[in-house]
Amino acid sequence: MNRLNQLPTLRITPSEKLSLNYRGKTVQGVAGDTVATALFANGVRVFARSLKYHRPRGLYSLDGECSNTCMDVNGVPNVRTENTLLKDGMVVREQNVKGSADRDWLAFIDKLDWMMPAGFYYKTMHKPAAIWPVAMKQIRKAAGIGVISADYQMKGQYDEMFIKAEVTVIGGGAAGMTAALAAAESGQRVVLLESRPHLGGCFDYRVSTTAEGTPLYERARDLAEKVKLTGNIRVFKHTSMVGAYNNNLITAFQVGKASDTFTERYIEIRSDSVVVATGCIERPLIFDHNERPGVMQVGCAHRMARTYGLLPGSEAVFSVGHDLGLEAAVDLFDLGLKINCVADIREDGQNPELMLALAERKIPVLKGWVAAKAHGCKKVEKVTLSTVEGTVKRQFPCDLLVASAGLTPVTGPFILAQAKMGYDSHTGYFLPTELPEKMFPAGRITGVNHPGAIEASGRLAGLKAAAAAGADVGKTVAEAEKAASVLPGPERGCKLVTAPVKGRKSFICFDEDTTIKNIKQAIEMGFDVPELIKRFTSAGTGPGQGGIPGHNLPLFVAKYTASISTPVPTTVRPPLVPTFLATYAGYNHHMFKHTPLHDSQIADGGIFRNIGVWQRARYFSADFDCREEILNVRNNVGMLDGSTLGKFRIHGPDALKALQRVYVSDMSKVKEGRIKYSAMCNDDGCVIDDGVVVKLGENDYYFTTSTGRAGQTVEWIRYHTRFDGWDFSLVNLTDAMGVINISGPNARKVLSKVVDIDLSSEAFPFSGYREFLIKDAVFVRAMRLGFVGELSYELHVPSSYTQAVWDLLKEAGAEFGIRNFGVEAQNVLRMEKCHVILGSESEQRTNLLDLGLGFLWDRKKADAKTVGAVALRQAEKDAGRLKLVGIRMEDDDRPARDGALIVDNNVRGYVATMRKSFTTGQAVGMALVESQLADIGTRIEIFEDECNGVRLYARVVATPFYDPKGERMKS
Amino acid sequence: MFWKSKPLWGNKTRLKSSYDAVIIGGGLHGLATAYYLAKEHGLTDVAIIEKRFIGFGGAGRNTAIVRANQRTQYNVPLYKEALDLWPVLTKELDYNLMFNNCGNLNLMHSEAAMKAARMTIATAQFHGVESHLIDAKQAKELVPALNISEDITFPIHGAMFHPPGGIVRHDAVVWGLAKGAAKHGVDIHQHTEATAIHTEGGKITGVETSRGRIHTPRVLVSAGGYSAGLIYHMLGIKLPIAVLTIQAMVTQPLKPLLDHVVSSGAYHCYANQTLKGEIATGAHMDQWPNYTTQNTAHYIKHQAEALSDWLPCLRGVKFMRIWGGLADMTPDMAPIMDGNDHYEGFYMDCGWGYFGFKSCSAVGKYMAQYMASGHCPDMLKPFNLRRYENHQLMGETAELVSYTPNN
Ligand SMILES: Cc1cc2nc3c(=O)[nH]c(=O)nc-3n(C[C@H](O)[C@H](O)[C@H](O)COP(=O)(O)OP(=O)(O)OC[C@H]3O[C@@H](n4cnc5c(N)ncnc54)[C@H](O)[C@@H]3O)c2cc1C
Repeated sequence: MNRLNQLPTLRITPSEKLSLNYRGKTVQGVAGDTVATALFANGVRVFARSLKYHRPRGLYSLDGECSNTCMDVNGVPNVRTENTLLKDGMVVREQNVKGSADRDWLAFIDKLDWMMPAGFYYKTMHKPAAIWPVAMKQIRKAAGIGVISADYQMKGQYDEMFIKAEVTVIGGGAAGMTAALAAAESGQRVVLLESRPHLGGCFDYRVSTTAEGTPLYERARDLAEKVKLTGNIRVFKHTSMVGAYNNNLITAFQVGKASDTFTERYIEIRSDSVVVATGCIERPLIFDHNERPGVMQVGCAHRMARTYGLLPGSEAVFSVGHDLGLEAAVDLFDLGLKINCVADIREDGQNPELMLALAERKIPVLKGWVAAKAHGCKKVEKVTLSTVEGTVKRQFPCDLLVASAGLTPVTGPFILAQAKMGYDSHTGYFLPTELPEKMFPAGRITGVNHPGAIEASGRLAGLKAAAAAGADVGKTVAEAEKAASVLPGPERGCKLVTAPVKGRKSFICFDEDTTIKNIKQAIEMGFDVPELIKRFTSAGTGPGQGGIPGHNLPLFVAKYTASISTPVPTTVRPPLVPTFLATYAGYNHHMFKHTPLHDSQIADGGIFRNIGVWQRARYFSADFDCREEILNVRNNVGMLDGSTLGKFRIHGPDALKALQRVYVSDMSKVKEGRIKYSAMCNDDGCVIDDGVVVKLGENDYYFTTSTGRAGQTVEWIRYHTRFDGWDFSLVNLTDAMGVINISGPNARKVLSKVVDIDLSSEAFPFSGYREFLIKDAVFVRAMRLGFVGELSYELHVPSSYTQAVWDLLKEAGAEFGIRNFGVEAQNVLRMEKCHVILGSESEQRTNLLDLGLGFLWDRKKADAKTVGAVALRQAEKDAGRLKLVGIRMEDDDRPARDGALIVDNNVRGYVATMRKSFTTGQAVGMALVESQLADIGTRIEIFEDECNGVRLYARVVATPFYDPKGERMKS
Repeated sequence: MFWKSKPLWGNKTRLKSSYDAVIIGGGLHGLATAYYLAKEHGLTDVAIIEKRFIGFGGAGRNTAIVRANQRTQYNVPLYKEALDLWPVLTKELDYNLMFNNCGNLNLMHSEAAMKAARMTIATAQFHGVESHLIDAKQAKELVPALNISEDITFPIHGAMFHPPGGIVRHDAVVWGLAKGAAKHGVDIHQHTEATAIHTEGGKITGVETSRGRIHTPRVLVSAGGYSAGLIYHMLGIKLPIAVLTIQAMVTQPLKPLLDHVVSSGAYHCYANQTLKGEIATGAHMDQWPNYTTQNTAHYIKHQAEALSDWLPCLRGVKFMRIWGGLADMTPDMAPIMDGNDHYEGFYMDCGWGYFGFKSCSAVGKYMAQYMASGHCPDMLKPFNLRRYENHQLMGETAELVSYTPNN
């Protein structure tokens, strides 16, 4: 196909050839082409088949309002080829066809539409019930458009960007550019977003002129140049705005050029105010076969010629409802298109100059006429025009039918910003009845079409936005308001809803193959709200995001149901433009915290797991049973990285009061040099945290929380003291301190090699707390704890020194064969001691008493209003609770799995943790059981998953299982 | 065409001044209860009062996942019955609810999660519900798109596979139940808002609506996310419910890719393919209580990040639409179904969070029984409101949940 290569409006570079592979053949396009325009240049007219009826579909709008040109590009399904820029070497395939788009042997389905009225799925295929599974398989196969393979790997670089600006302008047409320039005058930072690869909007391809006689395309290029030269305007081209959220948070994504480092880029803009200058798309004209290949909207036909140099047909009929249609007819005629007739829906009100131009070119014009039917299948061959009332009909041959009912504003950004929308009877548009805060419309979206008025409204909106963002714009707003007011205001819109047709083949939604007839059926079935009709008929739920039916559906419903007087719009939802998951995901960082000892744990062979927000070494044994790690702690000495523990300091005059509020114990009894183990409960008395508290001085405490609670602890304490006005400071030291746990009978010997304080049990007893320096330099808080049941020291060391201390201990321990142990070994060790881990031996509903930790609770500090105390008092009398008990299997070689149920005829509890103990040779564990089963000696029945009816048995036994007197940990 | 279109749920009727029972909320639970009241208990003089249109609330916004692998013995039998009811209702209502019992996979990303799954699976098996623990490789065989490599944020250890679950067409349930209820004589009043509940001497006497007053001895509040606010404002009863926004989204339609519902707790993300071919996916709830159904920029991004990890082929697919609804969360993730306690004739059915779709059929059946007889069926007894007063949470969730700052 010959291109019109010399037009000043072109956005292609004809000399720069690109190739693409289409159905196995290599064809040529040029730089600036979209995939679809390149294919069109190569004679392709049928791009796809429709979802349900497999009707042939062609170029219709060029802005992606429907799935007509959706194809598979490089293995990516549903690519809207009409606005996807061609890149060299693209591989393009058709979708949803058996055969090809041109010859699809599923096309016969189009004849079966009578079998598929609105909602037919709901009424069929379930009688008899046995056919449904079969039918469902077929439905699944028939549904869906594109294919993605399960092992598809998306290529490219997906960036993300978070920016701050005072004003964001959405839409880079004349209004948007003018708005950006006006807003930038006061020095504010302005972001300008334009979805096409170039600025210019509806001026970009038009040769008609401004009042001063400048062609609009030149005016657009002048404005673009000014924008470019304005330093505080940041322009993002090829960038579609997709979301608007509270406080004017705008999201968008940009498609990268070949020279960019990114394929696509997610952009989030936090701005004070927003100008919406998104202009208009066209309201589709509804008539019989209104979506045949060869039926195009005005802008599409016009831009094909002016932007891409492709005459969209050779012989055309126009059926339009707006002056832009007449303007396009004149211009396309001058570019060589034969025009057999222009039917204008409007009886009057046309621009006289355009009428004159049409007359000069001897183009017949029929006023009050409209297309009623397009003939031909894979391309339009002729058209039946009819008077708007349907009384008189005439046929014209053509291979191009330019059809459009008028304009429809792109109000998506307003709707996303929660604007209430209402029908404006002058323009026929749905417009915001009240503007969202700091959001201003500009340009054609307001109903104006006069070029001067478009720019004037842009300037006004830009200044208002700047003012709303805090700029001092002086009197300029008033001046701009005055300037705009003398120019033509919003134009009266064409109100025709459909051509005079029955509507069996008149499509209101192309993506879902929804016809006017389907809508009528839905209404007759009682679906009288557009939103419901949308759901029932699927109209507007396809890849085109409602671009085709968005305006027409409510208009039609209002017309057809006399009960609704004014049309009610349907909602629009983000993203306004379909957006790749890859683009939304951006960098997709892994976000886990590493302890100060992370690298050395890896070097020592740690097998890591994600535990909460951390990555921790769970095993140092490939077989995961951790036998060696465990026995080494029991018999020798081991080291554990405990740095994930929550660590806090609280101090200030009321620090003790705060602790009394959240801890169940009497914290006034904490003595200097000693540690106190205690727990926190919630209002239900359920244990949410446990840890130790150390008194550093008067009203100065250091305390630990479980790993999982570290993040919430500050807020928890703040919340529960919020009405008291207490004076204390609370610092989260979790990341500032590393923790090394050194445990086992030889722990003292190892530690004594690196510290020079007296470590004897008399000087530093069990439950003691000491502070000292290692190597005269590193400050250490040391606690003698017994979580794993052996002689054990927990050293809290500033993070930056933790590795050094670890290395010293490792060196010192070498002669004993010190080795690491991981979280799983610790789990077994502490289980043998029946020390609980919250979340493992407790669940959400487990309270302090259920866990057997009632001894921690000091009931005599009522004044403290301890969180959970009320519930605990009540629960004391409650027999119907689960209790934590120790159990031992009758068969020591068959420990039950964690999570096994304890049952009789009902579920009575479950096994929390159970292992075969290497130390004692017994299969022992802890279980939560109903209190009736909690007595020592009770035989319990265990139901494991996949047990096939075979039950296991155990008995409740005394705890702990290991070193009941605690001699080892106190040694 | 061989169907004549006629109104699916009856002609519009006038609001009568008195009904035997009034149901506030034309959602899943209201419609199901009305249907069973009329069909099984002969209580046909029933009005459903719906502020907007039927299905406006969660009923029209959910992702239609159904399953019966809950955690506790109180819940499993109820959900099992609900699951078994889909084919029965399809037949009874003569409306295709499009039950696709494709099975659910619940991914496990840690040893601790595997242990938790074991308990849930044992509970299911104990109650005769099919559910199995499978390893990552088996999961991959069922869901070829799954990424079971080690180098993702939460590597997949295995999954809980629950074959009888699946998806049902949510809109069909709304319209089908409405059709059934109307057929048995229930009046469905759309665009009618309940504004007050009247009581006298501890008894329900009527409901005030935007279209006038109705005398009735029985009222059920089943207004989804709006229930807690409504019950407090109308009767002063405070419920331990936090209302949060929950969002869901769909991609562009694809040819069959996912044959199961797949979900991941660690990623806060689930995905399934609708019969239309869209991948429907949902995120966890917003972390702060609010009554709006507004979307947030964060969640769609989060969802894309999560899916990029565990269903990486979807990176080449586009999101098409996201929406929000309300999730009314109780502290123990189990609903509140109660009646005849505070006021004689006052019933409530709420706190359904994000699991009120899968339960609605069975709940409708038992709530109808409750309302018709005045006595609480055994099945519903554990769900009474007083359990919170007694600090006896149900245990439907193991983890500590915190929807409000105070717990
Ligand atoms: C995004 C999302 C995903 C979900 N996914 C699932 C899922 O996969 N599986 C699942 O089981 N559940 C899911 N749910 C939860 C499920 O949708 C709800 O639990 C369920 O809809 C609750 O049903 P309902 O009948 O109680 O309330 P709703 O369906 O919400 O209906 C309540 C109705 O009450 C009306 N109403 C409110 N106030 C008044 C008034 N004053 N007067 C009259 N009428 C009033 C509302 O307009 C509404 O129509 C999801 C929810 C959401 C939001």
